[in-house]
Amino acid sequence: MAPPTGARPGWSRRAQYGLFFGFLAVIAGVLIGLFLLGLSIFAPSAYAGVRGVALDVTAPVSSSLRAVTTTADGLFSGAGNYWDAARQNGELKAQEKVLRRQIIQARAILNENMQLKAALQLRERTPEAVASGRIVGSSFESQRRFAVISVGGGDGVAVGMPVRAAEGLVGRVIDSGATASRVLLVSDRSNIVPTRLLRGGQPVIATGRGDGTIDLRPLEVGKNPFRRGDIVVTSGTGGLYPPGVPVARVVRLDDDGAIALPMADPGDVSFAIVQHPFEQAALEQAEEPAAETR
Amino acid sequence: MVRAALGTGAALGRGPRRLARYWPAASVAAASTLALLPIVTGLGWGPDFGFLLLVAWRLLRSDAIPSWCAAPLGLFNDLVTGAPIGLSVTAWTAAMLLLDLAARRTMWRDYWIEWLLAALLLFMAQLLRWHVDALMGAPYEFHLIWSPWIIAVLAFPLFAFAASAIDRWRLGR
Repeated sequence: MAPPTGARPGWSRRAQYGLFFGFLAVIAGVLIGLFLLGLSIFAPSAYAGVRGVALDVTAPVSSSLRAVTTTADGLFSGAGNYWDAARQNGELKAQEKVLRRQIIQARAILNENMQLKAALQLRERTPEAVASGRIVGSSFESQRRFAVISVGGGDGVAVGMPVRAAEGLVGRVIDSGATASRVLLVSDRSNIVPTRLLRGGQPVIATGRGDGTIDLRPLEVGKNPFRRGDIVVTSGTGGLYPPGVPVARVVRLDDDGAIALPMADPGDVSFAIVQHPFEQAALEQAEEPAAETR
Repeated sequence: MVRAALGTGAALGRGPRRLARYWPAASVAAASTLALLPIVTGLGWGPDFGFLLLVAWRLLRSDAIPSWCAAPLGLFNDLVTGAPIGLSVTAWTAAMLLLDLAARRTMWRDYWIEWLLAALLLFMAQLLRWHVDALMGAPYEFHLIWSPWIIAVLAFPLFAFAASAIDRWRLGR
C-alpha cells in the first residue's frame, strides 16, 4: 500500500509545526554527525583534547571495576592452584632445575656480550620507563583493538610513546588524557610493527588482523622462513619501538607468511610500561601516522 | 489493566515517576556506559549497547525519545566508547529517520517485524562502522563483523525487555 501523504498529527498548527521542526532537527543531526565524522577521519588531531577529557572521566570507572574482577579472578585461580598441588610442585621443581642451568649460561653470554660491546665501543641507551600502569579496559564492543591504561599526561605519557609489558610489546599510545591513555594494540589492523625473526634475524612486517592475531610477512620474498613456535621481536627500525622486545609467536603458517599470537595478551598482563620512543626524533614523526590511523 | 486491577498494590496515588519523560534517554546513555566494563579481550565481540537500547525504545514507543535526541546521545556514546567521533551521531540519527519511514510503510507490527527491523539497522550500523574503520587506516576483513552482528541480534530481545520494563516502571504501571 502506498504510504499516506504525510504524518499529520491533526488540525493543530502547533502540532504540525512541531513535527516539521522535529524532522528538520533530525536532518540537521545527520548533517552534523557527518561533519564530525569527516573531521575525525581527515583531521583526527582536532579531537585530541575532547577525547583526553572523556578518557579521564571514564577510565576511573573501568579502573575500580577492574579491581573487583581481578580479585574475583585471583580467588578462583588461587583455589584452582590448590587442586592437584603435589603434581604441580614436582613439575615446577624439575622446571626450576632446567631454568637455573639456563640462567647461568645466559649470564655468561651477557658478560661476554658486554665485553664485546665494550671492545667495539658501542654505546647503547637503555630506554627508560616513563610510567607504568594497569590495563583497565579494552574496546571489546568494536573490531578496532584499543586498550585503556591508567596513566596519562600527568605521568609524562604523550601520544606516540611505545607501551610494553614484561611479556612483550603491547602497542603505542594514541590518546592521552591527564590520568589515563588509550593504547593502539599490536593486534589492531592499523598497527604495523617492524620486527625480525628471533631465529635467523630475518626482517618481518607484523600487521594486526583485528581478531586478536597478527599477520607476519617476511620483507624479502622467497621461501617461507617461519616455523610454528617461532618468535618475532621488534627490530628497532623506524625508531619508535625499542629493539629486542618480543612481539608475537607463530601459531599457523600460510603460503608466504604466518599467523601469530601476541606475546603480551592484554587480558593477562598486569602492568603496562610506557617508554620513551627509542629515538626521540621518532616521537614527532610518530604523532602524524598515529593521528592518521586513529 | 486487568492485571493491574488484580494486583495487591495500592491502586491510589500511582502515577508516573518524577522526570518520567527523561528516563528513556537517560537509560540509553546508561547503556552506552556498559562499554566501560573492565572486559579486556583480544577480539571485539560486544554489541553497541546504547544503540540496541535506543532502537528498542524507538520500536516500543515512537514518542519516548524524540528523534533529534539521537544526535547528543550518539555523541555521548562516541566519547564513552572511544569510537570515531561522529560515527554514532550519524548512525543513530539516520536509524531514527529510517524507523520513521518504516513506521509509515509497515501495515502492522508484531514482534518478528520489530526484530527484523532491529537486525537490519544493526547490520547497517556495523557496515557503516566497517567502512569508516577502513577509511581510518584499519581495513580489517569483512567477515569479522558477522559474529558481533549475530550477538547483537540475539541480544536485542533482552534490550527490548529492558525498555518495556523501564517504561512500565517510569509510568508507574
